[in-house]
Amino acid sequence: MSALELINVRKRYGTVETLKGIDLSLSSGEFLVLLGPSGCGKSTLLNIIAGLAEATEGDVRIGDRSVTGVHPKDRDIAMVFQSYALYPNMSVARNIGFGLEMRNVPAAKRTEAVQKTARMLQIENLLTRKPSELSGGQRQRVAIGRALVRDPQIFLFDEPLSNLDAKLRMETRTELKRLHQILGTTIVYVTHDQIEAMTLATRIAVMRDGHIEQLAAPDEIYNRPATRYVASFVGSPPMNMLNATVIDGVARIDGSLDGVPLPPELRKRAVGARSVIVGIRPENLSLAPTDDSGFNIEAKVEVVELTGPELVVTSTIGSQRLTASLPPKSKVTVGASQRFGIDASALHVFDKATEKRI
Amino acid sequence: MERRSLTATILVHLAALVLLVVILAPVVWLFVMSISSTPDLIAKPLHWWPDTVDLSRYGVLLSSVANSAGEAFVASLFNSIKVAGMATVVALIVAVPSAWAVSRTPSVGWSLYAVIATYMLPPVALAVPLYMTLAWAGLLNNVFGLALVYLTILAPFTTWLIKSGFDSIPREIESAATLDGARLDQILRLITLPLAAPVMATAALFAFLLAWDEFFYALLFTSDQRAKTLTVAIADLAGGRVSDYGLIATAGVLAALPPLLVGLFMQRALIAGLTSGGVKG
Repeated sequence: MSALELINVRKRYGTVETLKGIDLSLSSGEFLVLLGPSGCGKSTLLNIIAGLAEATEGDVRIGDRSVTGVHPKDRDIAMVFQSYALYPNMSVARNIGFGLEMRNVPAAKRTEAVQKTARMLQIENLLTRKPSELSGGQRQRVAIGRALVRDPQIFLFDEPLSNLDAKLRMETRTELKRLHQILGTTIVYVTHDQIEAMTLATRIAVMRDGHIEQLAAPDEIYNRPATRYVASFVGSPPMNMLNATVIDGVARIDGSLDGVPLPPELRKRAVGARSVIVGIRPENLSLAPTDDSGFNIEAKVEVVELTGPELVVTSTIGSQRLTASLPPKSKVTVGASQRFGIDASALHVFDKATEKRI
Repeated sequence: MERRSLTATILVHLAALVLLVVILAPVVWLFVMSISSTPDLIAKPLHWWPDTVDLSRYGVLLSSVANSAGEAFVASLFNSIKVAGMATVVALIVAVPSAWAVSRTPSVGWSLYAVIATYMLPPVALAVPLYMTLAWAGLLNNVFGLALVYLTILAPFTTWLIKSGFDSIPREIESAATLDGARLDQILRLITLPLAAPVMATAALFAFLLAWDEFFYALLFTSDQRAKTLTVAIADLAGGRVSDYGLIATAGVLAALPPLLVGLFMQRALIAGLTSGGVKG
């Protein structure tokens, strides 16, 4: 049984089509992350699932029941908003219990449920406070508690971590993952942060301009991106995208004398001379000894940044940029030419015209 | 600022003092006039402080002897309270739903602006049509009729003010309440209205003051004690051949008291509303 199913969901505002036919099916217990830049339609999609917006076309099914036209409160969902959307005039306890209160759950049972949720989120000592007396992280917990206490079929998260500082964001991320493991609930989570997507999701839907570019497990998204867009969106620093021309099974980097021999199975698919984009993740590059006869390309080192765990080297090949993540103690001279070795098994090749993976 | 020279501190306090004097001087003078005896008021050079404190005028205005100046004044005081009170309460009742509708449905916002546009008309332009309408409805010289006229002035103003209050409440909060299963009336009652309480109190206060101070329509549409409001009654005091400036000043002081009380009450209610939630929860 699928917990959530979207069938050809479209949304139009006048002549502008924000969602161009979304199909996806989510089984129970999955953690789906909708990943994309702002304006790609991911929040609209979430609102359609929640019932805060209606799809122009298509159907939304929750637990094998069509919810088109069903009021949000009857969809058996809970949502955590980016701004937390706590009720400022109510105590934390009443905030958490509000959903139960509105559903006429008796006070005693309500208090018990609120206590249980608060214990799970370690906010028991905050129950009597007002939202204005809480820190950002605490508010976030209350917002999650408010969703949790109702035990719905599906949780919806709309960029819940984007208002937190970096350290808190990481902690809360881990916390969310822990909660998902304990509770095993179905979650749909919207974010533009690829790290959140990679760490939390069981599946990621990378969205662009109102459609899903790729829907797959995080490691597949990372290791086998379906399009150039997905490849450049996921990973930090982002994947190097080098324009190249395939001649006799060798991808000749434009503006360079070097070529990257394609692995046999890629060579079969990229027959004839054609323009391609060679994608290389920064961590798949290494310093190559000068006499190395393996695959390597030469580039001029321009900037060297030590982040702590790694050394990020930005260099250029002709007019193209190449970024490499190297071990922190690597010896790299700024301004000098440097040969970078390539892990041939980690090459991504995209058709330049269609931007699809070859 | 932690570091400030002595001169700067003195200047800041001096500026505050000047402002205070400018604002309070007319009020203080009004009060002094109301307790000065007539010889003190007409003496040359002027006596800034009366030789004898004369409170008799307060007695005159608040007396309930039939056909006295006091009876007319007290009647007009109650008329003003009735008219301003009714107009304010109904204006709020009308304004809250319409303000919410306009705030949450921006596409109908033009209607509010259309109504506000009628504000651009000078009151005198509407005097004749209003007069004829009231005459037709038999509501001339009637507190309900006058309250109705005031409602047409107050409702757009309060709607506009309360709308801006609603605008500042994030829609996500209402969305969250919707998902939590609250009906529209519950959302308004439990969340939106408590959050908009300060702005609603402000709107009520200003609406009351606006109705309290209105003179033009009150003068046109009322003719005797059954409906005359304070502003008209005070004008009547100045209308005779002999004007007792002290009496006018006394009426002014008395007329300022009810709005003052309303203001104090609103302030208390506001603070109470905010803190009771914060402590008890």
